[in-house]
Amino acid sequence: MSEARQANASRRRVPWCEWAKHGIMLGIVALVLYPFAMLVVLSLKDNAQFFHEPWLPTWPLHPGNYSASARLLIRYILNSIFVSGASCAGVLLLSSFSAFTFARFQFFGRRFLFLAIIVLMMVPGILGLVPTFMVVKNLGLLNTRWALILPYIAGGQVVGIFLLRSFFSAMPDDLFDAAKIDGAGDFRMYASVALPLCKPMLATIAIMNVQATWNDLIWPLVCLSDDKLKTVSIGLLSFQSQVAMATTTRWGPLFAGYVVASIPLLLLFLVASRAFVQGLTSGALKA
Amino acid sequence: MVKPATRKPRRLFKTVRPSRAHLYLAPTFMLLGVFCYYPPLLAFARSFYTWNGANAATWCGLDNFRFMLNDEVLLTSVWNQIKIVLFATVVGISAPFIAAELIFNLHSARARYWYRVLLVVPMVVPGVVLILLWQFIYDPNVGLLNALLGHFGIGAQAWLHDPKLALWAIMCMGFPFVGGVNVLIILAGLNNIGTDVFDAARIDGVGFVQRMVKIDIPLVMGQVKLLLIMVTIGALNGYGAQLILTDGGPGYSTMVPGLHMYHQAFLFDRLGYACAIGLMLFLVILVLTAFYMGIKEPDTQ
Repeated sequence: MSEARQANASRRRVPWCEWAKHGIMLGIVALVLYPFAMLVVLSLKDNAQFFHEPWLPTWPLHPGNYSASARLLIRYILNSIFVSGASCAGVLLLSSFSAFTFARFQFFGRRFLFLAIIVLMMVPGILGLVPTFMVVKNLGLLNTRWALILPYIAGGQVVGIFLLRSFFSAMPDDLFDAAKIDGAGDFRMYASVALPLCKPMLATIAIMNVQATWNDLIWPLVCLSDDKLKTVSIGLLSFQSQVAMATTTRWGPLFAGYVVASIPLLLLFLVASRAFVQGLTSGALKA
Repeated sequence: MVKPATRKPRRLFKTVRPSRAHLYLAPTFMLLGVFCYYPPLLAFARSFYTWNGANAATWCGLDNFRFMLNDEVLLTSVWNQIKIVLFATVVGISAPFIAAELIFNLHSARARYWYRVLLVVPMVVPGVVLILLWQFIYDPNVGLLNALLGHFGIGAQAWLHDPKLALWAIMCMGFPFVGGVNVLIILAGLNNIGTDVFDAARIDGVGFVQRMVKIDIPLVMGQVKLLLIMVTIGALNGYGAQLILTDGGPGYSTMVPGLHMYHQAFLFDRLGYACAIGLMLFLVILVLTAFYMGIKEPDTQ
């Protein structure tokens, strides 16, 4: 109470200070977001408008740019949704079940095995790029979606296990004892007791994973050459060479394509911004 | 069988007893084995081989590592990488720190929340879109940057095609360097400082700048260390922008070891050499991480 009053008082005394902070922050935010606003403005122009007045909105708008680009990109987006969705589902399932096992069972080598998983957080992706490529190649997975999904699940579950294990360990034993007395088996305890309680944590891990796999560039670039399978990241590159490297660049559709490619994650962000912010911050911990 | 996870007194020779738990962990470890444990080991082993990926590898001892010392491209790329890491750490921590301080000192909780959310938006846009967007900003003919500088009478520059400017252009792609998680991490650190510390400072009549230097910076050192590690690893792992925009050029002015490794592996089929470069990068990351972790946090009493 008194703190609020004090804050009020100081606001009355030095309002300019508060406004200055807002002013600087708004400036920074504007700088951060301006390129995206520019993208949207540019995506609604035809080439004549683009060369005449590129930086301000011009009328008439050309929403047709979007349908043209969306037609070219929709396949890549669906591929990305499938790959990211499948990887995410795999990561959630495996990491929650393994974390549950680590937290609630006593077994030989428990600490060693857990350490062996945690250690992987220290191994940077760059070391594994070439050999993992050879593994995937020798397994005959190149140019299949599995080339992305399996390594994504394998790598993604590490952080998931790390975060969820401590969560499950902190849950009171009574909860599980009660379930056991009621005749619940291991799977029942996992599915009906542990999982429902960690939903927010699962959402965080899911977002972290989707963001990482959706934006991944180099791995799909190496593993997929079949245009039918490409994810958004590398699909955009072929889209760009189609639209931009033609005799005359069609700028409007090009930028519309960039916007279209950003929409799915943006929607996810709007729906779950809180989980997003949390996921990104805890994702940082894996570094 | 299911017991709460309490630590039992350790015996030296416990019998290996396979249990249900091992079975439950099998899928996780099968995937880890194939995609997370085996590849780094393979990389380590193959860095002592000449290996084109198709035929059997032949042992070549330390040849790959010896070759590195005479690889002009690699040496240039290391120098570029050092510049990139230095720039990224200095700017990638100080800019978010300033932004975090500004947000933290706002009175309105709602404003604090919204600024945080807005700064996360760039993370939502696919990395490739960001790279292509910057390609347009740097475009010599129709780009935003040249149009902007034109107003101040500065002539058009070919940002990504001028050997003197290309590396700077790549480094500045994150401008203004506050989009993303870095701000959130420092903010989390500032929020962890107890209000009593700030109250005490206010009572003692400590000014804003003095408070920042004497209280805020020492108390968020943990976060700063984390960022140091993150930014360094990110810079050493990241060559997507070069791959798409410059391919290491013009000349080798934007080449980095990661991209060099990529070229050696996927353009020239010299996988053994690529593994050796990867191994060196891993060691550098390991040493830097250990070094940063070792930085003493100042006594906070």
